[in-house]
Amino acid sequence: MSERIRNHMDVLGLCALLAVVLVTYQRLDPTLLSPSTITILSAQFLPLILAAVAQTIVMLTGGVDLSLGPVLSLGMAVFVVTAADGATGVLAAMALALAVTVAAGAANGALVAYAGLPPIIVTLAASFLWTGVTLIVLPQPGGHVPAGLVSAYNLGWYGIALPALAVVVALALWKLVRTTRFGLALYAVGGNEHGAYASGIDTRRVKILAYGFAGLFTGLAGIGLAIQTGSGDPNIGAPYTLNSIAVAVLGGISFFGGVGRMRATLLGALLLGLLTNLLLFTGISTFYQLILQGVVLVVAVAVKTLATRERTA
Amino acid sequence: MSVAALRDNRAVWAFGVLGVTWLAAIAFANGFGTVSSVRYLVQTASFLGIVAIGQTLVVMMSGIDLSVSAVVALSAVVCAQVASGSGGAAGILVALAASVVVGLVNAAGLVWLRLPPMVMTLATGTVIAGALLIYTDGSPRSARIPLLDTLANGSVAGIPYATVLWLAIAAAGVWLLHLSRLGRYAFALGTSEPASRASGVPVPVTTLVMYAACALLAGVAGLVLLGFTGTSSLTMGSPYQLLSIASVVLGGTSILGGRGHLLGTVAGALLLTLLTALLAAWNLSEGLRQVTLGLLIIVLLLAYARERRTA
Repeated sequence: MSERIRNHMDVLGLCALLAVVLVTYQRLDPTLLSPSTITILSAQFLPLILAAVAQTIVMLTGGVDLSLGPVLSLGMAVFVVTAADGATGVLAAMALALAVTVAAGAANGALVAYAGLPPIIVTLAASFLWTGVTLIVLPQPGGHVPAGLVSAYNLGWYGIALPALAVVVALALWKLVRTTRFGLALYAVGGNEHGAYASGIDTRRVKILAYGFAGLFTGLAGIGLAIQTGSGDPNIGAPYTLNSIAVAVLGGISFFGGVGRMRATLLGALLLGLLTNLLLFTGISTFYQLILQGVVLVVAVAVKTLATRERTA
Repeated sequence: MSVAALRDNRAVWAFGVLGVTWLAAIAFANGFGTVSSVRYLVQTASFLGIVAIGQTLVVMMSGIDLSVSAVVALSAVVCAQVASGSGGAAGILVALAASVVVGLVNAAGLVWLRLPPMVMTLATGTVIAGALLIYTDGSPRSARIPLLDTLANGSVAGIPYATVLWLAIAAAGVWLLHLSRLGRYAFALGTSEPASRASGVPVPVTTLVMYAACALLAGVAGLVLLGFTGTSSLTMGSPYQLLSIASVVLGGTSILGGRGHLLGTVAGALLLTLLTALLAAWNLSEGLRQVTLGLLIIVLLLAYARERRTA
């Protein structure tokens, strides 16, 4: 079976699972499709979705980003420390936060591209670095997010779900990036680095850009989390490192690079988020959500791996 | 230079850097030359050191174990819980058995489900964290177990028992990885899995033993930590997840597997503990300390842990 159809099957499988979860969800919570529920859910899922998008970009190059959580916290910290009331103040703080996270991502990328160190080690060492920078910017939980922004974001703004809109805009941006030369080169570098280099692609530039874009989406996730919670916390990003990897893997993104679709990552994030919420409705202790997450991860990847092996055998 | 000399080179580097750093610490910082400070340093390094030895076993076969942090907590929490009902010895045995089971599950996932090590160990780590929440209902106990107390805090001829245990484990690790048949298989797997499969390396047995040993050592470290602090917590293992991998890599072992020496990891764990202690002695803020540690690790890695660009 061709690669194309198989990728399609992944997305279809995830869609089917998601449909089952959505129907169950709708039965337990009939307000699922009401604007207010959509706003709340999208505010809750936005950080994970965008973090997983960032992790996917890095994984497509054949790397992995263990410093994603700390960079997310860094974006959040810069935003809450600099955000002033009023639209200009907020936008300036956002721009500054994103500039910092893009720089952090590009620094990771430059080390991966030029130092000859495997991505997993570079980003492992960088995770200490960015955690430290975050603690310097924001030593204790706190900071300021304008109250009007928090309520507009979490409760809807003239009936518009701002977080959902933000996710759509971010994904549209990525769709646009994918159509550029860089988007194509990203898959080429991840699929076969030497081949890509031999066919004239500047592989180092592609890697730095990829980690830079990952920094951008990670920063957006951090800003979203800050607005959702209404304050900053220098340690809140930590779980996102491994969760973003889990979601990307769930979406069928390969650790070896060059394989996978962003829409599958999106489906994976929605699936994991909705499943976790479903547990709440069924009255099972939230303690079980970690177990569920681990089991879903193993089952999903094992089914995919075993199915692929049988087909190729 | 022969291949063997090249392979050992990086571990020697790790000891060299450790020696220079230690001398610098004695010369430029207060209190690093005293016997008691050295004793405290090797005692606190042993917790990380024991976990890192296990991590070396799996990294050498180009695996990775992200569940060590969860296993450290698992072993301490289970031991404290069981000990309060049926005594210290039972607690220790159950905790170690539980740790080994986790390692076997990890290996089973890799061998029979063909999952990437990072995914499988990440998943088991998550499941353990959830299971511990349910098991303890969110509030783990503290426990004073005399045997663990002695092991963590006592000393013989001035050397802490924890350090003696660490060195004994390191010796066993050197035998397992560098002298035994299984160790040679692990190296072969780390160099090229398809080639080792083709030449008859028993992949399942090697994977099972190495991951079980890694989890067992994480469990041992959890017990020693329990003895040291007298209390267990759900997050007590968290620092060891990334630090154990950092120790392995700073010890000169290639993260891609197949190259390095287990003794280098001993130097790596000591080096990380020494650097942390040094940064603490300088009265830097928590943030600056982390920044410096991160930068130092990057510089050290650039100095001697670069992968040769191979095809």
